[in-house]
Amino acid sequence: MTGLSFFDCNVSYGRPSVPSPRQAVGPDELLREMDWCGVGEALVTNAHQRHDDAVTGNRLVVEECAKRDRLHPAWVLMPHQTGEFPTPDELPAVLARDGVRALWAFPSRIRYLLDANTFGPTFEVLSALHVPLLLSLGESSGRLSGWDLVGALLSEYPRLTIVAADQDCWGQDRYFRPLVERYPNLYFDVADFELAGGYESYCSRYGPDRMLFATGFPGLCMGGPVLTLVHANIRAEDKAAIAGGNLRRLLSEVKL
Amino acid sequence: MTTPTAARTSAIAAEFVETGRCATLPVIDAHAHYGPFQGIYFPKPETEGMLDIMNRAGVQTSICSAHSALRDPREGNPLVVEAARRHPGRFLAYLAVNPNYPDELEEAVAALSERDPAVVGIKLHPSWHRYPLSGPAHAPAFAFADTHSLPVLSHTWGNTPTCGPEEVRRVAERYPNAPLLMGHSCFGQFDEAMALARDFPNVYLELTAAYRVSGLIERMVGTVGAEKVLFGSDLPWFDQLYGIGCVVFSHITDDDRRLILRDNAVRLFGLAN
Repeated sequence: MTGLSFFDCNVSYGRPSVPSPRQAVGPDELLREMDWCGVGEALVTNAHQRHDDAVTGNRLVVEECAKRDRLHPAWVLMPHQTGEFPTPDELPAVLARDGVRALWAFPSRIRYLLDANTFGPTFEVLSALHVPLLLSLGESSGRLSGWDLVGALLSEYPRLTIVAADQDCWGQDRYFRPLVERYPNLYFDVADFELAGGYESYCSRYGPDRMLFATGFPGLCMGGPVLTLVHANIRAEDKAAIAGGNLRRLLSEVKL
Repeated sequence: MTTPTAARTSAIAAEFVETGRCATLPVIDAHAHYGPFQGIYFPKPETEGMLDIMNRAGVQTSICSAHSALRDPREGNPLVVEAARRHPGRFLAYLAVNPNYPDELEEAVAALSERDPAVVGIKLHPSWHRYPLSGPAHAPAFAFADTHSLPVLSHTWGNTPTCGPEEVRRVAERYPNAPLLMGHSCFGQFDEAMALARDFPNVYLELTAAYRVSGLIERMVGTVGAEKVLFGSDLPWFDQLYGIGCVVFSHITDDDRRLILRDNAVRLFGLAN
């Protein structure tokens, strides 16, 4: 077999409001689909977090991952000013208690501004702890969206680790390569990185270190990103880094 | 990598995981392009680069239309025909038709009549041309396809006035002998696309971009049968391994995988098996 150890940074389970033809209603169904495709571990969120109630979802994802050592919980970031999320002072201890090493941001879905006014002190804490923030490129904050929003955040908080997630299938290199050159703490997921020859072209110039394996399940089929990376025309060690090495390193550097 | 369960239950999946190809299943890509396109950076948009991608994915043949042919068929169509001549069996050609230049339609039909053996179909792109699939300027090409049972690949997209399911239904009714591949399977209106493929013997689901929707391939196979589903990739837009991975890891049988990745195209385009 390939020798790759896949660690998926962008996957979720639970019943979404708009169903995919194939989805995982619970964490065990998700594990079965991961087994079907040879994916060993995953950083997960649940449908509560993504679709209706991040507060409840954040609690449940910790409980459900605690019973399954291949699933690692990610939280969804909320403003602390409404009492729905730990304050910047409380955050390190709460993350440590619950074993949460990564956060997602859905600013337009949850209706907040992902900016200094709302999250300035929180971003300082996340930067100091090296907690990665996954930001879905389909989201917006005020007048900024997608790669614009990613660039604006990194410009103001260059020490913050940001994972740009959910890029669409139409090749995005013209957007992200300039940001990769400028911001060393920018990473991006490859769930829908379908560009023909894309791995070879990107890695030959930038190396593999900013790419994180992802499947985007249940929105996307798991098998596509798996087979593409397994047989990409790049070095075996680069594949290993993208498949899981980079994410494991990022999570191991979190200071909880 | 832990051995995927799929590879334990499917010989095709096992071989693709192990080698990136399947010796007994050389894939045919029924929806490819050729050449650069300004809206996207392509690392490998032309012959040698595309062959490299195809070789890594175990793709025997890509059936292509040139991007430039969508703007000017007289300029773009010869490029892909020439690539097909230089690499027999690796590339086949769709001749693109641009309905916005009606004074060239007679010439387009003449080109179809005198077509090179490498030309196996017609390519239409109603949304790019902002012209409805059922519009009169497409009629000469459809009439030719209907007379000669020549496959037509049209870009189709859900909730798009020029090439949504209703437009497909109109031409499917009008030209029952023209095999019509719904490129992207009316993306976003998949149920309507499946209904069309079920209702019309000459209408087929084509998977480009649609393959990535989790579980959709299983639903297509369960609803209309694998005989009506063809693999395509939009190469050089998308890596063929990505779409093949979606097919290979779908929860379907190896017989279904063979039909989708090869046998349906062999049958539909009259290719040597």
